[in-house]
Amino acid sequence: MIMEIFGKSIIELIDLIKTKKISSKELYHYFLKRIKKYNPKLNAFLTVVEDRINKTNRTNKIEIPIAVKDNFCTQGIRTTASSRVLEDFIPPYESTVTQKLIDNGFSIIGKTNMDAWAHGSSTETSDFGPTKNPWDLSRVPGGSSGGSAAAVAAYLSPAAIGSETAGSIRQPAAWCGVIGLKPTYGRVSRYGLIAMGSSLDCPGSLTRTVEDAAFLLGILAGKDDYDATSSSKEVPNYLKILKEKKKYTLGIAKEYFEEVDEEIKEKVFQMIERLKKMGHRLKEIKLIHPKYSISVYTIIQRAEVSSNLARYDGVRYGNNRHYFGSEAKRRIMLGAFTLSYGYYDAYYKKAQEVRKLIIDDFNQVFKQVDLIIAPTTPITALKLGEWEKYPFFGELMDVLNEPAAVAGLPAISLPVGLDKNNLPIGMQIIGRWFDEGEILNLAYQLEKETEFFGVTKILEDWKD
Amino acid sequence: MGKKILSKEEVLHLAKLVKLTLDEGEVKKYQKQLGETLDYIKNLKELKTKKTNNYFSSFHNAVNVFFKDEISKKRQLFKEDVFKNAKKRRGNYFIVERIL
Repeated sequence: MIMEIFGKSIIELIDLIKTKKISSKELYHYFLKRIKKYNPKLNAFLTVVEDRINKTNRTNKIEIPIAVKDNFCTQGIRTTASSRVLEDFIPPYESTVTQKLIDNGFSIIGKTNMDAWAHGSSTETSDFGPTKNPWDLSRVPGGSSGGSAAAVAAYLSPAAIGSETAGSIRQPAAWCGVIGLKPTYGRVSRYGLIAMGSSLDCPGSLTRTVEDAAFLLGILAGKDDYDATSSSKEVPNYLKILKEKKKYTLGIAKEYFEEVDEEIKEKVFQMIERLKKMGHRLKEIKLIHPKYSISVYTIIQRAEVSSNLARYDGVRYGNNRHYFGSEAKRRIMLGAFTLSYGYYDAYYKKAQEVRKLIIDDFNQVFKQVDLIIAPTTPITALKLGEWEKYPFFGELMDVLNEPAAVAGLPAISLPVGLDKNNLPIGMQIIGRWFDEGEILNLAYQLEKETEFFGVTKILEDWKD
Repeated sequence: MGKKILSKEEVLHLAKLVKLTLDEGEVKKYQKQLGETLDYIKNLKELKTKKTNNYFSSFHNAVNVFFKDEISKKRQLFKEDVFKNAKKRRGNYFIVERIL
């Protein structure tokens, strides 16, 4: 009976409960048991919710456990953003994302580890220790949604919520061999998401199947009165769009393949060949080199971070500013610099102008193609500790994710194979604003065609 | 290419602006690290851009999204919730650092 559950997607688990093969309670305890057993090795979860909390009076008995990144305010459940500043903070309110999850039959089983304040791409800047990559415990899972990615990869939760400012969902998804969806900026409400870069932050998901990603997006997307930047654009039926027979024109930019590991290129090209065989059209496109996005992103993000982290003074909640870790301090300092008198024009204004350039560049390209294909990361998962070599490690690791991030575009990372060290390789599909349906459709086609070369099924180490 | 290093005064000034306390080691470290970051982001100069009055391009053209200035029962916090996480409280007041 237990074996029936391992590796199953949200959709499959809902069916198991509907057909009375298991109860919601049994399912919750199944994952709780797995977390107790494996979390000490992985450190994916910072807080585990032992008592199933069902906060709404629903007669619907279907409840699916889900892990949530620890930067979403969950009422009554400790929320730390992996920082000692908030180590004992218990939010008095529920974020819109978690409220929607609860209203739709999900039970928050735990809060996952992340880079403190989401500042990083390895989960090593967490004040509570790094998360280990389930594929190789001497390596990092990526970040900042590393805990969420690791939890899903090791099946400590069927899916997890993450957030992305520039790569924080896609990169750990790639490094952990799971599916990571970053929606269009404004597609999902940021209310209750501890702000990092207010013009960049996007709540999203880490899942084992494309269908689950579509299912979750359908629940989370939509206008929220509590988030003025959330979009009023209608939410399509993603699950329906998923199964439509579509053929796309796919853009491939040379600039996104430079300085990428040979093995990653090989696996991505392999997928591209498959896409061609499946009947999609390929077109070579030219895009502004991603290296400029690093600068744009670094400046804008750090400026917004310095402003957003000003509220943490230990007065109303949390600890005072002495509790900030060094990465947070560094980003706050640089942010302040770029916004300060005399430098604002040269850095911040210029960054915003280039941001507009990047947006226009994508808009031009999307007149010629429907979707853009590229590797998700230039390298596969690094060993613990390697990040210290770089002053802006996070931004360098996310070079291929930053362009879409600064332009607010939606994107998904899919596992497309393993490298010679048995580490997952990710490929991304970038779409136009609010074209999550198209992205998911193509991703679903690829999943059906290749089963992602078995990457999502491999984890023998983590079986019950 | 000259490697940029911030001066000690610049770093201390920034720290004051953002209310962070740094020790000697941190000051030295940030002088170097911030300098390295600034060196990299200079590459934006290579791109020709247009000056604009709208620096905050909204992707979905939302303009003046306002919230009704009224009490909403939905998000009301009770006093105990408000003070639950405060370390220093006196009655219905948060205790803050002395300003003067």
